[in-house]
Amino acid sequence: IMMSPFLPLLLVSVLFMSSFSGVQGKKWKGEGTTQNLENIVIGRCYDYIRTVNPAVGEKNCSQIWEAFKNAFINKDPCSILPKDYALFINLSLHTIPPNKSLFWENNQLLVNSFSARGRRYMSLGDTLFGFVGDFLNWCGQADSPGLDYESCPTTMECENNAVESFWRMASITYAQQSSGVIHVLLNGSADGGAFPQPGFFADYEIPNFQKGNISKIVIWVVDDIEGPDIDSCGAHSVKTLETRLKTLGYDVTCTDNYKPVMFLLCLDNPDDSKCALSSSAPAAQRGPISSVRGGSWNKLMFVSFAGFLFRFALVY
Amino acid sequence: MPLQQGSARTRQRTVLLVGIVVLLAALVLAVVLASLLTHGKHEGSPQMLKWKDRGTTKNLQEVVLGRCYNYITAQHPELGDKDCLKIWESLKDAFIYKNPCNITSEDYQPLMELASHPIPCNKSLFWSKTGDLVHRYTKSNQNFLTLEDTLLGYMADRVSWCGDPSAPGINYESCPKRSECESNPGSVFWKMASKMFAEAACGVVQVMLNGSVEAGAFKSSSIFGSIEVFNLNPDKVSEVHIWLMQDIGGPQSESCSGHSIKRLINILEERNFKIVCEDNYRPVQLLQCVHNPDHTDCRLCTNSTAIL
Repeated sequence: IMMSPFLPLLLVSVLFMSSFSGVQGKKWKGEGTTQNLENIVIGRCYDYIRTVNPAVGEKNCSQIWEAFKNAFINKDPCSILPKDYALFINLSLHTIPPNKSLFWENNQLLVNSFSARGRRYMSLGDTLFGFVGDFLNWCGQADSPGLDYESCPTTMECENNAVESFWRMASITYAQQSSGVIHVLLNGSADGGAFPQPGFFADYEIPNFQKGNISKIVIWVVDDIEGPDIDSCGAHSVKTLETRLKTLGYDVTCTDNYKPVMFLLCLDNPDDSKCALSSSAPAAQRGPISSVRGGSWNKLMFVSFAGFLFRFALVY
Repeated sequence: MPLQQGSARTRQRTVLLVGIVVLLAALVLAVVLASLLTHGKHEGSPQMLKWKDRGTTKNLQEVVLGRCYNYITAQHPELGDKDCLKIWESLKDAFIYKNPCNITSEDYQPLMELASHPIPCNKSLFWSKTGDLVHRYTKSNQNFLTLEDTLLGYMADRVSWCGDPSAPGINYESCPKRSECESNPGSVFWKMASKMFAEAACGVVQVMLNGSVEAGAFKSSSIFGSIEVFNLNPDKVSEVHIWLMQDIGGPQSESCSGHSIKRLINILEERNFKIVCEDNYRPVQLLQCVHNPDHTDCRLCTNSTAIL
């Protein structure tokens, strides 16, 4: 009976604390806005126009940042639409050289390496509008001009979030700007198939191809070096993709395990049988050449170890 | 009377016309002068020194600052305590308002201290005459770090800067080439950064050299040959692995048994390092094959039916 006034007090304080606790009180399930977002976005914009691809000419990076920010600040973070980024796209738009577009699914790091920063191919991440947003996270909040650094909604929580809508708009734009020979790199080891549906390529890129500007679509299906061969040309989801594109009237070719990409995957698995080069046959003996010091050190170690074992055996 | 009034009016009109013409002329002159002066200001004050190499990169501050934040936030969160603003200020202070032929390592000391960070052992990758290939390699394989993959190198890669004693203190028009003066801001920076990168190395270090260069894979005058080799610490570094890469389909000017490599091995052995040299280190050769997939050197075993 003495405890009764304390109990409700305890309950209230616990409730109070939990609503303030960082772990339990987070609004959303996703990571918060990347720190220093403004400096990073503006810096990347200038880096792009000054050193990565000066051919795009002069751009106003401060204006680009403002347009980017205004797409999502002071709004409900679940109410952001692709068209909110229209001004951002307008200011950062540039043409993509014909035959250089590279679309992809489930192999972002590989595509980054393969495109060689836009010199071989220009993937979405090699355009100005893709470059400034790659690998970053952001969201705002209603009735406040600030960015939310604590948490942001995932696409599972709500589709119309700042980052998802950004990439939808960027993908649409990228597809619209692409011309000539179009390349698509798919992962033949991906769970659920090489051509995911729903997916960015299926829903935002294919529907926005400018048919009159495209001469051919080249599909590459590459398996992980030590991964399963789930999909390939003419099979399952890739067949669906090929059929869809042919029905739309495109000239389509498909290649399994396109060699240049295979070589890139082999970097991390040089000893896998798939990666053996026939020129590395033992006939051309060009193996490691150790220095004399190294060789004798190894011999010394072996002898001392053998001696140690022998002594140990004797003692035992 | 009307005639008299007419002539007075004509005189008035003439005066008015002349006045207007004079005013217009003065206005045009003023506009021309103003544009000349501001144009002159844009080009930097007329006293700014003129050099043969490209000038300071435009928006250098935004680029360097953005790269710094990008590096510590998105790529290397363990460096989260670095103060990017301070780092930029220390870079700027190293060269602003100074004669770009008089730069010393002391000028860069504060920057070096603020931006340096430890390098994990066995990951340092040096290079000479293989800039394109080595950086494609580290981009695809995060197991190795070149100087340009450290914070300092990452911020400074592919940008240029130099100052000038007259306002605004930064020369955006031109900067000195090495042939014009050695102690220029870029050369001094890279020499110092290379020295520190070598000093920080530990464990097994790697170096990628070019076996297709006519003048030899190892040159004593290169930054690797003149600075990095001599600043490796024998108490920290145990081994040096040389990767001697020849261009696919290119000249095989030198291999591990070549003259300049023998010279390099001698220099390193004198300093008590163990050396291993490998011709056409496979993972890097695979990377070269990405761009030459049909060359005979890039034939995959799986293509041929022969079983070895």
